[in-house]
Amino acid sequence: MSRRLTAALTAGALVVGLAGCAVPHRRGDGRIEKVAATREQVTAIYERYREVRNAAVELLDPTPLSTVETGPVLAVDTGSFEVSQKLKRSGEEDKGPIDVTRVETPRFSTYPLWIFAVVRDSERDIQRLQIFERARAVDPWLLVATPEALASTKIPALRHNGGGQAIVVKPSDRRGMAMSAQDAADAYARVLTDPTAVADAGITEDAFIRQMADVATKNGLLDGVQFEQSWAAEKVEQVLRTSDGGALAFVTLLRRDRYTVPLDRKITWPEGSPQQALLEDGIQGSTATLNYYHQIVVYLPGGTAKPRAIAQFGGVVQGEAG
Amino acid sequence: MRRSILGWALTVLGLCVALLGLALAVFLGPDGRRTTGPHEIETDGSVVVTAPRVIRWVDVQVDILVEVPVKKPIFVGLGNTVDVENLVDDVRRVEVTRFAAPWKLTTVDREGERPTVQAAPTSLDWWLADAAGLGGASISTTLPDEPVSLAITSIGSSNLSGLKVSLAYGIKGGFLKGLGLLLMGIGAVLGGRMLRRGDPAFRDDDADDEIVYVYVDDDGVEHQLTEAEVAAGGFDVVEEEDVVEIEDDGPPVADDGPDLEVEAESEPQIEPEPQNESEPQIEPEPQNEPEPRIGSAPTYVWIDDDGVEHELTEAELAELGDDEYEIVDEEDDR
Repeated sequence: MSRRLTAALTAGALVVGLAGCAVPHRRGDGRIEKVAATREQVTAIYERYREVRNAAVELLDPTPLSTVETGPVLAVDTGSFEVSQKLKRSGEEDKGPIDVTRVETPRFSTYPLWIFAVVRDSERDIQRLQIFERARAVDPWLLVATPEALASTKIPALRHNGGGQAIVVKPSDRRGMAMSAQDAADAYARVLTDPTAVADAGITEDAFIRQMADVATKNGLLDGVQFEQSWAAEKVEQVLRTSDGGALAFVTLLRRDRYTVPLDRKITWPEGSPQQALLEDGIQGSTATLNYYHQIVVYLPGGTAKPRAIAQFGGVVQGEAG
Repeated sequence: MRRSILGWALTVLGLCVALLGLALAVFLGPDGRRTTGPHEIETDGSVVVTAPRVIRWVDVQVDILVEVPVKKPIFVGLGNTVDVENLVDDVRRVEVTRFAAPWKLTTVDREGERPTVQAAPTSLDWWLADAAGLGGASISTTLPDEPVSLAITSIGSSNLSGLKVSLAYGIKGGFLKGLGLLLMGIGAVLGGRMLRRGDPAFRDDDADDEIVYVYVDDDGVEHQLTEAEVAAGGFDVVEEEDVVEIEDDGPPVADDGPDLEVEAESEPQIEPEPQNESEPQIEPEPQNEPEPRIGSAPTYVWIDDDGVEHELTEAELAELGDDEYEIVDEEDDR
């Protein structure tokens, strides 16, 4: 046996022997953190979500949805189910494969934990930007945001830490951006309430703003009807750092449409619409309010560029007569 | 010199590894772990938990047995500190703020608005290891490389009074690993010793088995002999000499005496390969000669008086004579 071979075998045996031992040691990193969820947990979250949703669709009953959804998503879906119930119109179960194209599981040092996922819907040619959140250790994972974008929309690349997890940004943090995520949300509410404020608000008049402004203009043109619309931004919770130093923020906006209709006028909505389901008799000689939730994903580019919405989702959630 | 240094280094390393293995095997014992308890923890509440950063070891195998009297339901779980802290947030509890092996605890009573955790701990999916039982429960796990906390909770309306905890910690298969290290160390020590002594096991193959017999005749000329020739010739071996190192594959050089030049056997010279003979040029293929057209030989038919046709060759026709026939019809059959 050659000397070199002997030496190599000895060294190899030592390395293999020592590598086989998981040597106990103290954790040097004292940070208290955890990755929001593992891949397996994300798979389980989606499987459970689809199972419950399909059960709700089959029963035409939104009640089970409360175990997998919450907040505006649940409110909008519940509204849709109630409309379907009234119209006795069954939905379609989602039996195709879940095409989750992207999952981001940030690290958190405290609850709530949340994950970000992009799900492709081939039938509608859209992609959903979803947030599942676990508010407390004793709570289940619930869908809290699901804005939609065209399949062709490019979702900005995210920045990751050394462990490969997406980096979370504080909603009030404006470093490296024209404004913070919370400021952007407030700016959207301000511009949507008063479109003339767009110049000073520091945001782009994007497709979402134009679409909402068109709706408001049409409602305001109803002859003899007094129409008022107001918007408010909720507290921003989920913001991720993009690779350009900007951020991707999930913003929830509450919209209130208030109609004051004289006695000689009557407002009705088309048969089968959610508004018609909520205000069955329409509005005549009274005041009524329709509340909507809109969720948008606002991209705040790194640098001084203005924020803009890249995805949206929403619907009417409540109708109040009188 | 170099071999000596390497030998000593290997010996010292082996000694360290062997001592480490021996210490490990002796410390952990045949079951590979140290056991302590049961130890009582005084509480009348329903939650006992370790504070953040109390458990900081990684890759340590731990077995925890918790017991309560009168078969009260009890739960024990190890989870990420973020999860456990959120679970016991605002819960009245006993918190272990310091722990030293084998069993030295510092505990603090934490106030909280709730007497117990908000959900059945068994229903939570984030435990890294958990168990529940009546009167006792135990977990066995390896501490992961993440911040973890241990939680002991009662289940339902019971409490943890009379709680006793037993703890075992060690390395999975630690005793065998210790023995393995010991053997490895001993091997290294022996290897170092052999290396220092220049044991043949550490020599190159070329020098290992080669024995060269040299016969020096009366004229002082050396002759190399084979082993068979030595055996047959009745020579006396007068001197044995180790050829210590052969650095390269060049011809051996005798230590003493005149330089002996051993000519390498003259290898037969390889004749230069004959150049490819000039290949005969291939004559151009003859062009297809025009094939002769096959013409039809004339056929002569004689019709006798009865009207029967007889085919004749040209010779038969000639024999008949001109007066015997007359050509009445010429027909081209093509």
